[in-house]
Amino acid sequence: MRPRFHLRAAAAALAALALVAGGCRRTPAPAPAQPRAAVEPTPAPTSIVLYFPGDDTFLHRETRDVPELPTAVESRVRLLVSELLAGSRQGWAAPFPWPVSVKTVFADKSGDLFLDLSSPPPDVIAGTEGEVALTYATVNTVIANCPGIERVQLLFGGHEIETFGHLDLSRPLAAAPALVAP
Amino acid sequence: MSSRSFMTGLLALALAWPAGAVSVTTGTGNVVVFSRADLVDVVGLLRLTGAEVNFSPAAGSYVAANGKHDVQFTPGGSLAVVDGNLVPLPGPVRLLEGHVVANLTVATALLAPFGWAVRGGPEALQLVAVQGSVPIELSVVQSASGTLLVVRGVSTTPRLSRSYEQIDLTFPVRVTLTQPVAPSGGLLGAEIEDSTLHLRLAPGLDVVTTYPLEDPPRFVLRLGPAENAAAPVQTPSGPIVVLDPGHGGEDRGAQGPGGELEKDITLAVARLTAAQLQAAGITTRLTRDGDEAISLNDRTALANRLHAVAFLSIHVNASPAKGARGAETYFMNADPSDVQAAQAAARENAGSPPNAVQLILWDLAYVANLNASARLAGLVQTQMNALHGIPDRGVKQAPFVVLVGATMPAALVEIGFLSNPDEAAKLVSPDTQSAIAAALASAVTTFVRTPATTPPPEATPTPRP
Repeated sequence: MRPRFHLRAAAAALAALALVAGGCRRTPAPAPAQPRAAVEPTPAPTSIVLYFPGDDTFLHRETRDVPELPTAVESRVRLLVSELLAGSRQGWAAPFPWPVSVKTVFADKSGDLFLDLSSPPPDVIAGTEGEVALTYATVNTVIANCPGIERVQLLFGGHEIETFGHLDLSRPLAAAPALVAP
Repeated sequence: MSSRSFMTGLLALALAWPAGAVSVTTGTGNVVVFSRADLVDVVGLLRLTGAEVNFSPAAGSYVAANGKHDVQFTPGGSLAVVDGNLVPLPGPVRLLEGHVVANLTVATALLAPFGWAVRGGPEALQLVAVQGSVPIELSVVQSASGTLLVVRGVSTTPRLSRSYEQIDLTFPVRVTLTQPVAPSGGLLGAEIEDSTLHLRLAPGLDVVTTYPLEDPPRFVLRLGPAENAAAPVQTPSGPIVVLDPGHGGEDRGAQGPGGELEKDITLAVARLTAAQLQAAGITTRLTRDGDEAISLNDRTALANRLHAVAFLSIHVNASPAKGARGAETYFMNADPSDVQAAQAAARENAGSPPNAVQLILWDLAYVANLNASARLAGLVQTQMNALHGIPDRGVKQAPFVVLVGATMPAALVEIGFLSNPDEAAKLVSPDTQSAIAAALASAVTTFVRTPATTPPPEATPTPRP
C-alpha cells in the first residue's frame, strides 16, 4: 500500500525548532540548596540502549558504549539512528530496510519528538512486522535515550504519513515495552 | 410518531428541573422521562421519536434504530456511530442512577439522525421535527475502471443497501437532488425519497466498491458486474462476524520469495474461514470477496454498519528478521497517552475530515471493547500457536488503522511469514490454508458462542409513548 501523506507537521516543526537547542532534557526544576560543597556535575553517560528485531518477533535490547553522548536532542537522535543503521552487534536484524538518513529532528514542550527520516523506496516496507520493527525500534530507542521525550512521531521525506498499510503513524507514539523480548 | 417527517414540532416536554420528574406531553398523553439538573435521559427521548433502543452486551453500547437510521453510543464515551460512521459528540453520554443521560446539546446530536431536535431550556423542552433538506449533486463519470457515480454535497458517508437492481444510499439527513440525473453508463435513474437516494442500475450491474473523497467531500460508487459486488449490508438476524482479507487490488501486501502475494492468501483463507463459520451457523461477511482495493476505513465501516459482534482482519506477515515464523495476533493499543492524544485531536479537529475523526475512536475501544478484543485475540493466537507448533508468545498490542474504527471486538491476525521461504511455500498450499481457516473458525466460534458479558446498567425505566 502506498503511504498516505498529510501536511500537518510543518507548523509544529517551526514552533518546536527552537526547543531543539535546549537538549533532550526538559528544563529541570530548581535544585534545592545544598548546604555543603557544590555537587559534582553528573558525567554524561556513554552507554546507549538500542532495540533490534529478532526472529522471535520481539524487539531485543542491546547496550553499547559510544565515545560521546551529545546533549542536544537533534545530535543525540542522529547518533541513535546511525547506530541503529549500523546494525546489531549481537546478530539481531536491521530495523531499517533502506539506508535511512535523518533529515530533521524537533521536539515540543509536551515531550513529543518528531523525527523526519528520508523516504523509503516504494514497497520496501512490507508486513506488520516490518512496520513494527521500523517504528518501535526507533521509538523505543529514542525514548530510552532521551529523558523528557515521551512520544515519537516518524515523518518521512518531510511529510506526516497516516500509515504504510498497517500501523497508525499519523500521531506521536509512546514506547511499547510489551514488544520487547522479556 | 410515524408522521414525524411532516411535522414542524410537537411533543412539549414539561420538565420539572431539577426534581427529576419530566412530564412529556404527546398527542396521546403524558410520559415521564428521567432528568437531573441539565442532564436528560437520552434513551427516553430517542424512544419518543419512535426509535427502538437496545443495549448490546457484546459491544457495550446502546443502539437506537428506526429502520432507516441507527445510532450507537456508549456510556462514558463522547462518540457515536451514526449509520456506520463515527461522529464526535459535543459531550459525553453518562450513566446516572441507572439511566443513560446527556446534556441537551448531546441529546440533540443523538436525535438528529432521526430527524428530531430538542429545544428549550431547563424549565421546558420541546421535541422538534427538523425541517429542510441538504442539496446533493449526483454525477456519472466514465473511467478506465468502469462507471463511477459521484455524490457531492454531504460529508457523511451514506449507508448503502441493495434491492433488486436498485441501490439505496441513506443519508443521516433529508436530501434533495440539485438537478435531474439523465440515464448514463448503466445508471437508469435516480430518485430521492426523504433521506434516501434510490439508484436504478442496468441489469447485471452492481456497486463493486465505495469510497469517500475529501476537499470537497464526495462519496464515490464504482459500478461493475454484479458477481464482483462487495458484501451486501442488509442486517441479517443473529450475530454477524466480519472477516477482513487484508490488502487487495493494487495493494498486494507482502510478497514471498516465490512471488506469493499476501492479498491472494488472505482472500483464500478468509473465504475458507467464512465457509466454516457459515457451516457452524454463524453469519459471516467479508470486507472483500474479490481482488478489490478497499480502504481501511471502509473495512471497519462495513462491520460497524452490520453491528458485527467480531471483526477479524487477516494478514500475512513479513519481517526483516528472515527467520521469523509463526502467527501473531494483535489488538488495539492500550496506552493511555494514545487515548489522550486521540481525544485532544478530536477536540481540535471536530468537523474535520474522517482522518481526524478516526483518531478519537480510541475512547470507544477503551470503554467497550478492549477486554473483549483481547479475548478474541487470545483465542485466535492459541489456535494458531497449536497449528504452527510454536511456544506461546502471547498477543500483542499496537495502533492499527484497520482496527481503530471498529466499534466491536476486533483483532488482526498474521497467519505466517512470507519473508520466511519455508512458511511462504506452505501458505500457498490449499491444505495449509484449510488448516489455518479451521483454526480461525474455531477461535471465532468459541468467541461468539461464549461471549464475555458486560452487564448493562440498570434498565432505563422510561415509559414508551
